Amino acid sequence: MNNTVSSHAGTDISTWQAFCATLKRDLVIALKRKNDLLNPIMFFLIVVSLFPLGISPDPVELSKVSAGVVWVSALLASMLSLDNLYRADYEDGSLEQLLLSPQPLYFLVLAKNIAHWLISGLPVVVLSPLLAYMLYLPSEAYWTLVLTLLIGTPVLSLFGSIGVALTVGLGSRGLILAVIVLPLSTPVLIIGAKAVTDVMFGLPIGNHFALLGAILAMALTMAPLASAAALRISVN
Amino acid sequence: MWLWFSKLGSPRWFYELSNKWLPWLYAAMIALMAIGLFWALLIVPEDYQQGQTIRIMYVHVPVASISLACFPLMAVAGTITLVWKMKLADMVAKSVAPIGAWFTGLALASGAIWGDQIWGTWWAWDARLTSLLIQFFLFIGVIALRSAIESQDAAAKACAILAIVGAINVPIIKYSVEWWNTLHQPASSISFDSVAPNPPEVWVPLLIMISAVYVFFVIALILRTRNEILQRERRSQWVIDLVSREKSV
Amino acid sequence: MQARALFCERDERVLFSGLDLDVHAGELVQIKGSNGSGKTTLLRILCGLNDDYEGDIHWKGEDLHEQRENFFASMIYIGHRVGVNRILTPRENLRWSASLHAPVDDMRIVAALGRLGLRAYEDIPCRNLSAGQTQRVALSRLLISAASLWILDEPFTTLDVQGVKNLESLLSEHVNAGGAIVLTTHHALNVTCPSRALDLDTRRAAA
Repeated sequence: MNNTVSSHAGTDISTWQAFCATLKRDLVIALKRKNDLLNPIMFFLIVVSLFPLGISPDPVELSKVSAGVVWVSALLASMLSLDNLYRADYEDGSLEQLLLSPQPLYFLVLAKNIAHWLISGLPVVVLSPLLAYMLYLPSEAYWTLVLTLLIGTPVLSLFGSIGVALTVGLGSRGLILAVIVLPLSTPVLIIGAKAVTDVMFGLPIGNHFALLGAILAMALTMAPLASAAALRISVN
Repeated sequence: MWLWFSKLGSPRWFYELSNKWLPWLYAAMIALMAIGLFWALLIVPEDYQQGQTIRIMYVHVPVASISLACFPLMAVAGTITLVWKMKLADMVAKSVAPIGAWFTGLALASGAIWGDQIWGTWWAWDARLTSLLIQFFLFIGVIALRSAIESQDAAAKACAILAIVGAINVPIIKYSVEWWNTLHQPASSISFDSVAPNPPEVWVPLLIMISAVYVFFVIALILRTRNEILQRERRSQWVIDLVSREKSV
Repeated sequence: MQARALFCERDERVLFSGLDLDVHAGELVQIKGSNGSGKTTLLRILCGLNDDYEGDIHWKGEDLHEQRENFFASMIYIGHRVGVNRILTPRENLRWSASLHAPVDDMRIVAALGRLGLRAYEDIPCRNLSAGQTQRVALSRLLISAASLWILDEPFTTLDVQGVKNLESLLSEHVNAGGAIVLTTHHALNVTCPSRALDLDTRRAAA
């Protein structure tokens, strides 16, 4: 055992392996806790079903608002599951270990964000056509809805991660997380929901996807950096 | 340059310098405000479309322009806090947030009053009003985060990050809201733009009002920052001396 | 590792000022002090988690901030919160911790857990383990890492008599092999290696 001690600790392991191990770890934790996996989807389902009860069962009225309803519900579902991202790790000290890794924190945070998206965002994307059907969304808009959600929900996870990273050390967070995260998410919501509505009116939507893609690219490059800096502050 | 920079970072230096500035700023504000208000409210002719209502512009535009400047200012102060760990920058950042929220609120309120006159409704999902509203939420977020974190250093850094992230987002929000709005209801955002081609007797008083409100903003910012300085430095000798001098007078 | 003129203030209370601390290869430094004397804060500053201090820390002659990756690669920290996930098994926990530094094969993990008396517990979720056993899972990280500097915050707290002995021999082995250790404990250390103590209380009394 003694010969493992060496002053020139080798970091021959690539960042890629640390990235994969972190991604896998978070997915395994979620799979072992079925709640983490089920809750976002159930929440999404329930919120969407509340709208017809609150508005009207009329197909014409529902189809008008369907895109917005699905998008707002996806936003809320993503936000409510954000706490899983760093909370447990903060409490048990795993976050400290993450911060003390010689690997670039950017990639480790990115791995955790991707895991969060796979757990809470992707199921919502997959389930969205069913809910769109229940809300009488015209069939020509289905693909647009799924695609905008596919590009947009990762952005929600990435932005949300900044908010959780800033608030993870707080005892009473209450609604602070929502107050911080929701305004940041408005551009994605606006563009995503509008793309679906515009397709229903037969308008071209190339611009919408270009904008969503640009926001995703920006979020991918910058949000994990902000999250990493915020985590260092919260763990201080 | 560096010496000047580190001197600027000293709260005491700022406090004493602002002692000298404040009287001048007060005088400038009163003069500008008096001229501006008098001109705008009494001399400026009625608008051929909006009549007397146009006078709301002389409050709304200055207030709105400051509310737009506050977020970038907070982000710059935040960057200085993070990079150079300058305490004064964080005091400024902390002071800007509530002022920015107030000015955004005022811009929303004056916009609503104006809207009631020209659109016949207090609230319209007009692009500018909507992005102001979201910016208002962002300010509230920064203030809430600041008050929730107990450690002053951690709060300073966390708010700096949020301010920077927010400042990057503000133009995106503004752009997406405008784009969202103009395609469906292009009619709602006239009138705000009708300022530029107007004759000098309309925009000169506007310019005066803008500078008056800017001076007011600077005064408010300095006063708040001074408060913050006294509070944070309350255990240092110069503040103790200052307080005892004030008491004895 | 050298720390020079460390100054730290917590909630407007000076924890320590002008603190110099040298840690050389092949020695163990025990930080002593009463509760709230700043032991944990000092360790967190040394390991790079806490940034709210004034002064300089050098690692192998260079400033810590300029070679974070190098430093992190050759340092391991185990704090109050030991960094063991309750849902994962000890094996999964260690596999992840290792991968943050350098991945190791399963044999090493099993051997490390065995050495700390956790044989047959490899695949039981950590929530079913006792506090002492969880602590041992965290300590197993020391065996699978190649770090030369160990920074340990109260590593003995939840261990039983056998566990304490085990850890003491582990510490001695590491130091005798040329490693360095900084730790805090209220327990009277019984190690067979060069060691010295830094008492934060007597420092303050002297100041």
